Amino acid sequence: MDASSSSSQPEFDYLFKLLLIGDSGVGKSTLLLSFTSDNFEDLSPTIGVDFKVKYVTIGGKKLKLAIWDTAGQERFRTLTSSYYRGAQGIILVYDVTRRETFTNLSDIWAKEIDLYSTNQDCIKMLVGNKVDKESERVVSKNEGINFAREYGCLFTECSAKTRVNVAQCFDELVMKILETPSLLAEGSSGGKKNIFKQKAQSSDASSGGCCS
Amino acid sequence: MAKIEAKLGMIMDSVGQFFSGKDHLPYCDSDIVSGCEKEVLEAEKLSSDEQMQDCLLRLSWALVHSKHPQDVHRGIAMLEASLPSTKEPLQQREKLYLLAVGYFRNGDYSRSRDLVDRCLTIAPDWRQAVTLKKAIEDKITKDGVIGLGIAATAVGLIAGGIAAAVSRKK
Repeated sequence: MDASSSSSQPEFDYLFKLLLIGDSGVGKSTLLLSFTSDNFEDLSPTIGVDFKVKYVTIGGKKLKLAIWDTAGQERFRTLTSSYYRGAQGIILVYDVTRRETFTNLSDIWAKEIDLYSTNQDCIKMLVGNKVDKESERVVSKNEGINFAREYGCLFTECSAKTRVNVAQCFDELVMKILETPSLLAEGSSGGKKNIFKQKAQSSDASSGGCCS
Repeated sequence: MAKIEAKLGMIMDSVGQFFSGKDHLPYCDSDIVSGCEKEVLEAEKLSSDEQMQDCLLRLSWALVHSKHPQDVHRGIAMLEASLPSTKEPLQQREKLYLLAVGYFRNGDYSRSRDLVDRCLTIAPDWRQAVTLKKAIEDKITKDGVIGLGIAATAVGLIAGGIAAAVSRKK
């Protein structure tokens, strides 16, 4: 289960767990697919929890990103909340064309993070999706900026459909995690170089229900 | 040079993935399973039928994604039992998908593939079902390759044995 058990794994310096949350239909799964490059549009709501792995090199570090995509539907809420633990980065997604997806951030999603996130220093990023539908926009960029300031999040607007700002969103989040020593310490480092060190950490890393 | 290295890395990576047998489906810890069980027990006392259905769906999700085979078995049994009485199309396809996940985790790939094909007939671009189908096909190919390897080795050994026997007779 842990990365050290397979010697054929490529080396990586850190493994980060990222989490996507937000209302149903805001485009969390499309955002993830748009980033991990399996490019197709799909409107089926996510059942429970899903995840994808992507290897990237950012800031000179080889990283393995395990990105968890959660169902936005309320009926899965108690299930998805179990997957917050151990995340170093949380991406809060709303749809700039649907006001209620933005107001639910403070009513629901910020509270969920407070309740279930286990990393105090975990980096949060607010993402306004669907900017390709500019004519239907009802949430202004300034409102997003203000929310992000109030809740201490990074902020960006993007379009998962046209891929505008998608890679930048993940890059910025990961850069910030790399700048946060407490997250690096437990963001289990991997690779063959320090296999012994990693063994000791793997019990923590796998406790998040992650199959990385 | 760096390019060649990157290419080589990619090949090694895919070979590694091929033999390590990693599937890209989430796993579920036993505390999540027990949490869902508790919810079901509470819902039995005071909740509406609809809430109860949601609780049961979450429990079956947790069971078929569990690391423990006995949980997966239980999840399959639950879903099999409830499927005939599920008339609502959305619920029906969710249960078909979860059942496919259960059989996949239990190693019954052909049954899992039948179920996932039914899901894809209902919704051809259903992302999670497409991913599962790919995982099933990878497993089947992998088993096939390993099977071939074993068969080839066996043939080699027998041929070697015969050759040795023949040469000794002479």
